[in-house]
Amino acid sequence: MSLLRRIPNLELLAFFVVLSVFFCFYAPHFNTASNVENLLSGYAFIAILAIGQSYPIMVRGIDLSIGSIVALGAMIIFDLVMIWEVPGYLAMPLALCVALAAGAVNGALIVYCRLQPFVATLASMAAYRGLVYAISGRQLFPELATKPIRDPWITGIEEYYDIGGATGLDQVVNLPWIPLSFLILIAVMVTSQVMLSHTNFGKNFKITGGNPEAARLAGINTKRTIISAYAISGFCAGLAAIILVARLTTATEALGNGMELTAIAAAVIGGISLQGGLGNSIGPVVGAFLLGIILIGLTLMGVSQFVQQILSGAILVGAVTYDLYMSKTRARRARALQSGV
Amino acid sequence: MQTNQIDIKALLPVYALPGAIAVIVMLFTAFDPVFVTPSNLLAIIHQISITGIMAVCMTFVIMTGGIDLSVGTVLAMSGLISYFMLLAGFPLPLAITVGILAGACTGCFTGYLVAYIGLPAMIVSLGSLSIIRGSALLAGGPDLHQIQNQPGFEFIGNGFIAGVPLSVWLFVLVTAILVFVQRKTVFGLLVSNVGDNERAAFLSGRATRRIKMATYAICGMGAALAGIIQASQVHTASATFGEFGTELDVIAAVVLGGTSMMGGKGSILRTVMGVLFLGVLNNGFNILDVPIEAQLMVKGAIIVVSLSLTEWANAKAV
Repeated sequence: MSLLRRIPNLELLAFFVVLSVFFCFYAPHFNTASNVENLLSGYAFIAILAIGQSYPIMVRGIDLSIGSIVALGAMIIFDLVMIWEVPGYLAMPLALCVALAAGAVNGALIVYCRLQPFVATLASMAAYRGLVYAISGRQLFPELATKPIRDPWITGIEEYYDIGGATGLDQVVNLPWIPLSFLILIAVMVTSQVMLSHTNFGKNFKITGGNPEAARLAGINTKRTIISAYAISGFCAGLAAIILVARLTTATEALGNGMELTAIAAAVIGGISLQGGLGNSIGPVVGAFLLGIILIGLTLMGVSQFVQQILSGAILVGAVTYDLYMSKTRARRARALQSGV
Repeated sequence: MQTNQIDIKALLPVYALPGAIAVIVMLFTAFDPVFVTPSNLLAIIHQISITGIMAVCMTFVIMTGGIDLSVGTVLAMSGLISYFMLLAGFPLPLAITVGILAGACTGCFTGYLVAYIGLPAMIVSLGSLSIIRGSALLAGGPDLHQIQNQPGFEFIGNGFIAGVPLSVWLFVLVTAILVFVQRKTVFGLLVSNVGDNERAAFLSGRATRRIKMATYAICGMGAALAGIIQASQVHTASATFGEFGTELDVIAAVVLGGTSMMGGKGSILRTVMGVLFLGVLNNGFNILDVPIEAQLMVKGAIIVVSLSLTEWANAKAV
């Protein structure tokens, strides 16, 4: 039992399992390999965005600009590959660097110009979207707009691995092929979680978010920590951009519009407290896939997408209510400990 | 030298925005004299009246340290409700009243969750955004509904009184009421008290939760009125109106007007300045045919620069 209690997001995982079982019985074709494949490849980039978003939220901020950064990264890959014919192994790191820099600029605006995170990233959301239109290779060279990207390095991201076939398990059950984007997500999640719990750099995020003033007095460079949080968020948006370009084999100016809200929802559902200072990197991933199974499951059950919209709103409100309840419980426990009961 | 510097910093927050509007107007006029013709100036105010009504009504919410992201969908919903009421043969005043009351109800819903349960305003209003959008789509579908043979309804968005569009009069009326509320009533004073120090206001026996809920109701009513005006202007009601981005424009206008997102500080009249500023900018860009990418980048840059200037001036003043 004590081992169980050490698993974070236990309630969320339980809810996830219960919901999956429910859909397996009531949604036709839900428990098929191809549906799981769709779920894995369709929500892996959302989960990556949610992991990224959890860093600004952890330091008591918010990043509204990630949708625009996704478009920016994607458009840079498009330009480099299609116009200058840069090979993919150079274009992708360059796009990641730009995404990282775009995130760091957000952080700098918040730290040095002392802007509210909401306002600063709202402004940069507009500015980065404008930048995407300005550098759009689709408008500069309209003939490129209909040509797919054929660079083997980039299309290689959209790869599926037949794990079941390789291990011989597919003779027993029909296993889904695992998309590479899902493996990237797992790598990001593990790296991020190890960083958060085992390095000073990672621990500083939670300490700064928990109490910025105390963190500063304890000698933590809070300015650098906050800028890093936004840079990580930008970097994750860059990763999502690469995955999306590989999937679509092109980039559009409107790519990523509204994605920030889904990412914020996934992070909050995944237990990243908006009060700051709490959370891990597994929660946002579970949160993203929870949103995924709800939407896919309800679609398969034939529920109208309008009802789905109502339900996802209700789930979001439910998740924050639960977060509030939990933080009150924590506060009560802390008080009880202090008074020596 | 020293005194001179302090003066600039003290004056900056008050005169920066009107000054910036004047500079921009002069710049645009230099490029194209059409800009300052009375008809164009009236057109600017006409264009901003919908965003303006939403922005002045949102000011109180932001002053209490909250935010309401659901205004875009409330706008769509109220237009749709009025349309259905008119279609069913109800008289015009009733249709409008019910539309606005529906906005007040959704505002109360969001406000209740924020004020009484204590949930974060941004996430709650995000949730109610998708609940309201879903309900509106369920009721009206994604189609555009033509509003025909309703001269009274069409007058709201397209009519003129004394040469000025009715929507502008409504904007002025709403602003006047809210300025009165802010300056002359206890409620207006309490709103900034709650934003300044909610705990202190609560301990001194103020009904802080009811005040906070009321600000969201006002915001919802403003968005609903804006929705009715918009439906009337384009003779159409649709659940897809007020798409993503509407709320951000409204918030940008409020924040540009100097209302702090931390709560406490803010003024209705300065929000009007913020709305005017964005309206002048948009209109000028359109007249000069500035491409969309430059528009977006300049808008982002202006928000950052003006807010960091205000922040800098405030920090020095303390």
